[in-house]
Amino acid sequence: MKQSLKAQLRDTKMLTKDPLLFSMVLLIFVSLILFILYPLIKVALVAFSDENGFTFKNFREAFGFWYYRKALFNSLVMASLTAIIGSIVGFIFAYALTRAKIPGKKFFNLIATIPIISPPFIGALAIIMLFGRNGFVSSTILRLPDANIYGFKGLLLAQVITFFPVAYITMRGVLESISPTLEDAAMDLGGNRFKIFYKVTLPLAIPGLASSMLVLFVESLADFGNPMILAGSEYPILSVQAFLEITGMYNLGKGAALAFILLIPSLSAYVIQKYYVSKKQYITVTGKPTDSSNSVVSPAARNILFVVAIFFSIIIILIYASILYGAVATSWGNNSTPTLDHFRYVFRVGFESVKDTIIIAGVSTPISGILGMIIAFLVVRKRFIGKRFIEVTSMLSFAVPGTVVGIGYILAFNSAPLYLTGTLAILLLNFIFRYIPVGIQGGIAVLQQIDPSIEEAAIDLGADSNTTFRKITLPLMVPAFFSGLIFAFVRGMTAISAAIFLVSAKWNFMTVQIMSQVESGRIGAAAAFSVILVAIILVAMIIIKTILRLKYQTTTSLLSN
Amino acid sequence: MKKIMIVIFSMLLVFSSVFAQGANEGDANELVAYSSVDEENAAKLFSAFTADTGIEVSFVHLSTGPALARIQAEKGRPQADIWFGAPSENHVSAKNEGLTVAYKSPALDALGKDFKDPEGFWRCIYMNPLAFGINTKALAKAGASMPTSWQDLLKPEYENLIQVPTPQASGTAKAQVYGLIEIMGEDAAMAYMAALNTNIQTYTTSGTGPSKGVNVGDAAIGVQFTPAFFNSISQGLPVEVVFPSEGVPAEAPAVSILKGVKNEQAAKTFIDWMTGPKGQNALSQQNTFFYPVLATAELAQGMPSFESLKIIPYDTQYYSDNNERIVTRWVNEVLTAK
Repeated sequence: MKQSLKAQLRDTKMLTKDPLLFSMVLLIFVSLILFILYPLIKVALVAFSDENGFTFKNFREAFGFWYYRKALFNSLVMASLTAIIGSIVGFIFAYALTRAKIPGKKFFNLIATIPIISPPFIGALAIIMLFGRNGFVSSTILRLPDANIYGFKGLLLAQVITFFPVAYITMRGVLESISPTLEDAAMDLGGNRFKIFYKVTLPLAIPGLASSMLVLFVESLADFGNPMILAGSEYPILSVQAFLEITGMYNLGKGAALAFILLIPSLSAYVIQKYYVSKKQYITVTGKPTDSSNSVVSPAARNILFVVAIFFSIIIILIYASILYGAVATSWGNNSTPTLDHFRYVFRVGFESVKDTIIIAGVSTPISGILGMIIAFLVVRKRFIGKRFIEVTSMLSFAVPGTVVGIGYILAFNSAPLYLTGTLAILLLNFIFRYIPVGIQGGIAVLQQIDPSIEEAAIDLGADSNTTFRKITLPLMVPAFFSGLIFAFVRGMTAISAAIFLVSAKWNFMTVQIMSQVESGRIGAAAAFSVILVAIILVAMIIIKTILRLKYQTTTSLLSN
Repeated sequence: MKKIMIVIFSMLLVFSSVFAQGANEGDANELVAYSSVDEENAAKLFSAFTADTGIEVSFVHLSTGPALARIQAEKGRPQADIWFGAPSENHVSAKNEGLTVAYKSPALDALGKDFKDPEGFWRCIYMNPLAFGINTKALAKAGASMPTSWQDLLKPEYENLIQVPTPQASGTAKAQVYGLIEIMGEDAAMAYMAALNTNIQTYTTSGTGPSKGVNVGDAAIGVQFTPAFFNSISQGLPVEVVFPSEGVPAEAPAVSILKGVKNEQAAKTFIDWMTGPKGQNALSQQNTFFYPVLATAELAQGMPSFESLKIIPYDTQYYSDNNERIVTRWVNEVLTAK
C-alpha cells in the first residue's frame, strides 16, 4: 500500500489518459465533498463554537457530565455486543444455509432476511408486546409476574434481531464465493471437519466477518429507533442523548458535540477493520470452475445449527406476527377483533407519504448502488491520489448518527447557493450518500475475492478499462451489487433519524408517519403503516430478483437459494 | 460504458432537479404548516378550516423539539408559514430568537391574557392538563389500589408500574417537573421524584410514551397530558383519568407566523379562524379532546370542565431560563436513586 508521492502522481496521470474514468473520479470527489463533508463541517462549526467563536466548551461539558460518559460507555458496550452476537448469529444462519444439509432452507433464508426490513419503533413496540410486563411470551406463556423489558436486555435483543440480517447477508455472500472445493480438497486430504472449519472456512470468511462486525458496530452505535423506545433514561445511549440534547434541550452545539464523540469509535472500528482485513486477503474466485460435494458439516454440528436457527426464527416470527396482529386488531393488547380501520386510516391520512416514500427510495437506491459499486471498483483496482479520501469520506455519512446528518443538511442547504430544504432533492441526496457505504463495502469484499489477473487477462486481450469493468468485473460483482442495492433500498425505506429533519409538507416519509402515529398513541395505525412498508419492500425485492434472474441468470443471496 | 453513462445521467438529473427548484411564490389559497399538533388532530382541524375558507393546507407533523430545531436551522427562509402547536414557552423562545412575526387582530383581543403574547407574536389554540392515566385492568392484576394524589404514587404497591416521560426530552415531563416544583418547592420535588424512582418502570423519551404503555397494559399508571387518555377511553379501553388532588400543571400550545413566509395572508386568516369561535368549537366537534382557550366554546363529552380542575400555573420564562440546571439536577438526583 505504501507508495511514494511520485508514484501516486504517476498513477493519477495515467488516470487522466482515461477521460471517462477521470471525469467519474472527479464527479465522485465533488459529490462526496458537497453532500457528505460539507454538511458535517457545518455541524462541526456549531459543535466547536458558541456566541464568542471557537470553543471546546460543548465537548468539555459533554465529557464532564457523568451521565454522558455513561451513555458513551453504554453505547460502546451495546454496539460491541450487537456486533459480536449479531455476526455470530448471522454467520450461523449463513453457514447452515450454504454448507449444511438442513431442511427448509428457503424458509430460513426468508426469516433471516426479513428483520432487515424493520420499520422504526414498531419492532421495539412488538418486543414490549411480547416480552414486557403484559407481554404474550412473558405474561401469557411464561406467567412471569413482573417482567421488565426496558434497559439493557430488551435493547440488546432488539438490536441483535434488527441487525443480524446484515451480517447474515454479508456472510452468505462471502461463504457462497468461497469455493466449497477448497473444503472438499481439505477433506480429501484427511482433515477432520472441525479442523477444516477452523483452518479453511473460517480464515477465508474472516474478511467478511470483520466487515460485517464493522457494519453492525457502526449501525448499532448510530441507531436510535430501538433505544428511543426501549432504553429509557436509566440506560442512556449516546445517539438518543444527542437527539434529545438537540430536540429536547434545544442545545444544537452540545448535541452535535455528543454526536461527534460517536464518530471516534465509528472511525476507529473502520481503521481497525481496514488494517486487519488488508493483511488477510484471500483470492478464491479464480475463474476456474467450482463444484461441491457438500459434506463438510457433520450431523451433530448440523443439528446444533438447526436448533439455533429455529430459536431465532421463532422470535422473529413472533415479532412480525405481532406487528401484523397490531395492524388488524381493533386495539393492540385489548381487543383482538379484526378490523381494516387502521389501513383505512393510513390510506385516508397518509397515502401521500406512501407514494413519496416509494419515489424517494426508488430513485435514490439504484443511483446509490451503482455509485457504490463504481467507488468500490476504483478503490480496489485503481490507483490515484485521494483514493483513501474517497473511501473514508463515503464511510463517514454512514458512521455519523442520522440526527447530525439531518441537521447538517438543513444547515448546509438552506442558504445560497444551494437552496434544497423542502425539496425532493434534499431527501434523494441524503439517501444516496447515506447508504453508499453499503454498496462500497459489499463491492470491496467481493472484489478482494476476485483475482485481478482475470481483469488483466481481458486488458491483455485488448479490452479497454470500461469494457473490462462492464464485461468481466461487473458480472462478478452482480450478486454483491444487488445485495447492496436491496440493503440500501430497505435502509432508505426504513430510515428515520435524518429523514425527520428533511421531510416537508410536500415530501413526507412513511417512517416519519410511523413515528407520528407512535407518538400520538395510534399504535394500530403505526402497525398498519409498517405492514404496508414491509409489503412494498418485499415486492421491490421480488422485482429486483426477477430482473436479476432474467438478465444475469444469477441469483442474489437474498430471497433465493 | 452504458451503465456509467446512466449513472452520470441520473446524477445530472438530480443536480438539475436541485437547481430547477424555482422560487415557489405565495398563493392566497395555500398554507403550509409545521404541526406539532399530532397528525390526526391536525388533519381534522385543517380540513375543517379548508371546508370553511377554501384555503388548502399542507402540513408536516414534527414534535416540538424537531420542529424548533428545524425552524432555527431554516431561519430567514422557512419552509412553512406557521408553527402550529407546541407549548407556548417554545413560541416564547422562537419569538426571542427572532424566528416569528407579530400579528394583532380582534381575535387576539378576545383571548384571555394568559393565552397570548401581548405583542401578538403567539397565541394559544387549546390547552391540556396533566393527569394520571390508569389502566384499571393492569392495576387490578397487580393488586394495587387507585391512586388519587402525587403522594399516593410513592406507595410500594406501585413498584415498577408507573411510566413517566424524561424531562430531557419531552415538554410533558418538563411541565410535570415544573408543576411539582411549584407544588412542593424545588428540593422537596427532587426528593419526591427520587423516592418515586423505584416505582418507575421506565422514563419514556417521548411525552406521549406513557399512554402507549398504559393502553397495552405494560404500565398500570402513566403520567402525561390528557388527550391521549380521553381518546383511549373513547375507544373503549379500560383506562381512567385521575387528576391528583395536589393539582396539575397544564400546557397551552400556541401558533405563530414564521418570519419571511410566502403565504402570510393565509396564515393570518388561519390564526383568526383557529382562535375564533369556529376553530375553538371545531376542537370538540372534531373529537380532539383538547380544552378550548375561548371560554364560550363547547366542550367534548366526558371531559370535566376546565374550571373544576386544580391547575398549577408556572412562570414559563423562569423555567425556560432554568431548564438546563433543573434537568441536570434531575439526572444527578433522581436517576441515581434506586
